Amino acid sequence: MQEQGAASSPSQTGLIRAVHSISKTCGVISALMIFASVLITCQMIWVRFVLNGSTIWQTETVVYLMIGATLIGLSYVQYLRGHVNVDLLPMLLPEKLRKWLQVLMFLLTIAVTSVLTYHGFEYWHMAFERGWKSDTVWGVPLWIPYLAIPLGFGLFQLQLMTDLYAVIAGKDDSASHTLKGEGC
Amino acid sequence: MDPLALGGLVAFFTVLVLFSGVSVACGLLIVSAGFLIVFDGFGSLELLPELFYGKLDNFALLSIPMFIIMGSSISSTRAGADLYEALERWLTRVPGGLVVSNLGACALFAAMSGSSPATCAAIGKMGIPEMRKRGYPDTVAAGSIAAGGTLGILIPPSVTMIVYGISTETSIGRLFLAGAVPGLLLMALFMAWSIYDTWRQAGSASALGRVNYSWAEKLEVLPRVLPFLGIIIGVLYALYGGVATPSETAAVGALLCVLVAVIIYKLYDFASLWAILRDSTRESVMILFIIGAAGVFSYMLSSLFVTQAIAEWIGGLDVSPWVLMGFINLFLLVAGFFLPPVAVILMAAPILLPIILGAGFDPYWFAVILTINMEIGLITPPVGLNLYVINGIAPDIPLKTILLGSLPYVGCMVLAIIILSVFPGLVTGLPNLLMGPAL
Repeated sequence: MQEQGAASSPSQTGLIRAVHSISKTCGVISALMIFASVLITCQMIWVRFVLNGSTIWQTETVVYLMIGATLIGLSYVQYLRGHVNVDLLPMLLPEKLRKWLQVLMFLLTIAVTSVLTYHGFEYWHMAFERGWKSDTVWGVPLWIPYLAIPLGFGLFQLQLMTDLYAVIAGKDDSASHTLKGEGC
Repeated sequence: MDPLALGGLVAFFTVLVLFSGVSVACGLLIVSAGFLIVFDGFGSLELLPELFYGKLDNFALLSIPMFIIMGSSISSTRAGADLYEALERWLTRVPGGLVVSNLGACALFAAMSGSSPATCAAIGKMGIPEMRKRGYPDTVAAGSIAAGGTLGILIPPSVTMIVYGISTETSIGRLFLAGAVPGLLLMALFMAWSIYDTWRQAGSASALGRVNYSWAEKLEVLPRVLPFLGIIIGVLYALYGGVATPSETAAVGALLCVLVAVIIYKLYDFASLWAILRDSTRESVMILFIIGAAGVFSYMLSSLFVTQAIAEWIGGLDVSPWVLMGFINLFLLVAGFFLPPVAVILMAAPILLPIILGAGFDPYWFAVILTINMEIGLITPPVGLNLYVINGIAPDIPLKTILLGSLPYVGCMVLAIIILSVFPGLVTGLPNLLMGPAL
């Protein structure tokens, strides 16, 4: 499948380009985290079934990697317009109203992600201050995995804001590359 | 406010928000946050990150990205075309051989890739032009592939089943087995209709361009289809042998599929590898985001006592379980028309499961019925994804013809639901046989 991100045009400001490259970088990081979890899970199976050893850190690590990949990947998938949506109502509306609806939904999304970023930061901070550890043998400091919450939602918000700007400025080309939902 | 009336209000706003073009996951978060603010105050919002994180903090979920990597590495190779060629060469003497081999290829590819649109695209790209060339009607050519592709979410391994398993806390291995026989049943129904419809429209004059293949040609294609098939069978075997959990076996399967794509299909350039990884990442993140958001959504429902009120209300209705099941089917069908399967399952399964169990139905049987309803949604407007995939790969067939061609297959699926309701053993038999009765 083709790279479906917002095409960069000369009219884009440097700021928007910067946000897009941050989102793309997040995509690479997220992909690498997912691939790392494939390798670590295979290593775990190797240790357990072939070497008959015991595994301590693997299960926990891959779960953290998966959560991290999801949160860090949010902005990249938004950049690709890969979050599945149903645009039944906009299709029924006249063009002008459609734009306002789009702006409204962007504002609501940004509001709710701000809530998650803000409280996510507090949650992370609490884990950091109080030195929370996972209740396993390994006992990972929980601020490490929790960091993905404010970071992921914060970066997601950044990408959403540039998309909102594109809609308001009338430069939104999302209609041409909206990805329809995946079938699974 | 009465929780049941509140439930109606939640349903109304959820539909409104989800239809307004916002992504499904964000829509669920918006609705949840809105209702929590109004009824529980701003203080309740501080729980959201913890709820979201907690929902994803589950090793079983890892099987989702793993199976997606398996599917997307298979889809990025020419395995679909190979599979199609192999079946076509072997089944050429069967009446309606081409459409039968197309549907067979869909079923097998569906098993390997676990994705409906990928199946449609992989088999349809070869199959549709070939069927039209040999005189099959356009409706059959387009409809059979659209319908065959939907098997991806029923035939194991299926990401949709994993999501059901996780959200209802049922055994994923057992769910996979439960989908096998109904998947074959659907395939058989699709085949029967295709042969009949071809005969009806094109008449018997058409041996429909039968081609003869030599044994050398028949044998030559086999080695190319075996590696991926072998991996899938190996993964399922390890799963049922109780050797490892779905996440673990899927991770090994994912690594092997990537290796086969690199070694046998020679996808060792950086761009193709990145394409596999990028597509898997996009899809995994999208699904896991919905799962996290659905976790927040179901917390909101139960903290406002909506879930409990609905279950109580339906439990208090004096109707026969089958009338109830009829209504549930209708609800799922309508939801499936508009929403992607994963979203429907995540929102509906936790609410419906206690009702289903209360009415004496089997949760594994229900998973299959639910999935077939979701399959119908994939080939019906307005969001029937497979219709658009077919439209994309065969642009000269009008969307209307694709739609008309797909409708009879919707009939086949409804028929399958009826057959499975009359003979639930078709669903539960295989898992009970291989894994012992469900606890």
